[in-house]
Amino acid sequence: MTRVMRIVVADDESHIRHVVSMKLTNAGYSVMTAMDGEEALELCLAEEPDMLITDYQMPFLTGAEVAKRVHAHDALKTLPVLMLTARGADIEAQEMSEAGIADVLSKPFSPREVLNKVQGLLRGAPSAAATGETA
Amino acid sequence: MTIAKRLGLASVALISLGASAAYYATIMAMRGYQTQARRLDYLVLALVAALASLLLVLFWRSVHQTVKSISQQLDRMVKEHQYGLVMIEEGHELAQITGPLNRFLTLVRGDINHLQEESRELQIQSRIADAEKKNAEAIIISITDAVVVTNRFDELILANQGAEDLLGFKLEHSLRKNIDHIMQDGTLVRLIRETRSGGRSFTRKVVEHTIDQKAQPKIFNVTLSCVMTAQGEVAGVVAVLHDVTREKEIAQMKTDFVSNVSHELRTPLSSIKAYVEMLVDGEAQDEKTRREFYDTIASEAERLSRLIDNILNISRIESGVVRVVREPVNLTEVVKHVLDVLAPQAKAKNIRLADRLVPVTHQVEADKDMIYQAVLNLASNALKYTPDGGTVSVSTDIDERRGLAVFEVTDTGVGISPADLPHIFDKFYRVQSHTKMAKGTGLGLTLVKHIIETVHGGKLAVTSEAGRGSTFSFELPVL
Repeated sequence: MTRVMRIVVADDESHIRHVVSMKLTNAGYSVMTAMDGEEALELCLAEEPDMLITDYQMPFLTGAEVAKRVHAHDALKTLPVLMLTARGADIEAQEMSEAGIADVLSKPFSPREVLNKVQGLLRGAPSAAATGETA
Repeated sequence: MTIAKRLGLASVALISLGASAAYYATIMAMRGYQTQARRLDYLVLALVAALASLLLVLFWRSVHQTVKSISQQLDRMVKEHQYGLVMIEEGHELAQITGPLNRFLTLVRGDINHLQEESRELQIQSRIADAEKKNAEAIIISITDAVVVTNRFDELILANQGAEDLLGFKLEHSLRKNIDHIMQDGTLVRLIRETRSGGRSFTRKVVEHTIDQKAQPKIFNVTLSCVMTAQGEVAGVVAVLHDVTREKEIAQMKTDFVSNVSHELRTPLSSIKAYVEMLVDGEAQDEKTRREFYDTIASEAERLSRLIDNILNISRIESGVVRVVREPVNLTEVVKHVLDVLAPQAKAKNIRLADRLVPVTHQVEADKDMIYQAVLNLASNALKYTPDGGTVSVSTDIDERRGLAVFEVTDTGVGISPADLPHIFDKFYRVQSHTKMAKGTGLGLTLVKHIIETVHGGKLAVTSEAGRGSTFSFELPVL
């Protein structure tokens, strides 16, 4: 790794932001956090991070909408997005693929799994999104 | 009459004959030709003739009177529509006629009685059939579902009020008209046609169909049945439209509720699971962070348990299985207790807790724990959504005239926009712009509304202005 990878973590639950940030920071990533959909979008556009980890259900904009809008910008077209969701299987696969979500983790999740996914996605390894299964 | 006339003529002839004989005898006697004996002969002849004439006249009179009596009796029968027997003197000459006439009359009378009986039976049957038809129609008309009955030409033959209202026609103007011309709803017309034409292969089917009613889409289960004659031919179609909009809404609400509950339960569970794993993996590197993690796990576990309590309480109240302990409760005392509990929170946020409570004299009949919960939820919401340095005012009052105890809490907080206001009592509804300010389950106000209105029959009210603050109040009848 020649430079520190920068990740935006968006969730309206402070505990989730805190725990994901800490796990990723401990693993050597640089983490920025957002408390709602709008803030996440602004942060992504301003900081052009290497990755976005977002909750689905947030105030103002859903995680899927944030991903869609971020991907509409040329500089962020290929930004990998990992979705954390407490909605279980409710979210349509179609909405996920349209928004360009690389992978989904269901809450309650394991921080280890998040780190594995992040490492896999940032290495450019083929994502497990196609099967929807997590390690 | 003819017999009488003939008899009359005969007697006239006989009288003339007798008279001529008497005249001839008198002339002969005057001329002196006649012996005494001959003259006597003529006298006897004349006498016989006269007697015969008298007899004839008497006979004629008797016949005439009897015929007249028969005629009168017959006339009376005609007039009174009573078919009796013709009565004449026993052994009378005319009995030869009246005998067969009476036999005939008896026969006619029998036939008439028979016919009258049949007619009466038919009338009764017809009345029963009529009543049955009316009964069946009344049943159809009283059904709240829309019912449409058509014949084999797809003409409307019966419909109830529900159908008239839903499909926009008037039965009196639409009877025997093709449904094509009556109903705007093409799908329904097609369904009835298909049922009629396919009548042999099925007897009943149910189709879901949406019809706009007063600009609101309503979902109907349309049950279509073919009416068959005894010969197995299609006589028509009965279509019953049952409104399932509400059922569908309830089903959707249940699905949403389960989905919301699972979402709300997963959130604190996520934190607990993640923090435990972090501790296990040694990610929390110093004692302060570890302490913070333990605290978070404890508070999230507490949140999870509160959430489950709220869900259970709401669901118990909604399903009516909640155990309510009614006792005289002093509202002011309950509010004082809540204020004591909330004082540290208010102090931490530097919020002034103002109270104006009526003296402890009036009581309400209520479940004390539930009322405590309602006051606590309203007052702690006020604290949660009021920025540091604000004021939360709590009051109790007695409305003597209406016999009500009134609780009110007013804050100088963020307020609620008019768009959000109608939804704040909905389960899991949270004002999006406020979610940053405080944590919540979206169930607190739902529970308060249930406690005050469903359980205690009171009234919960709210007024609010975005950016200025809110006032929540409830009233309960005093004892």
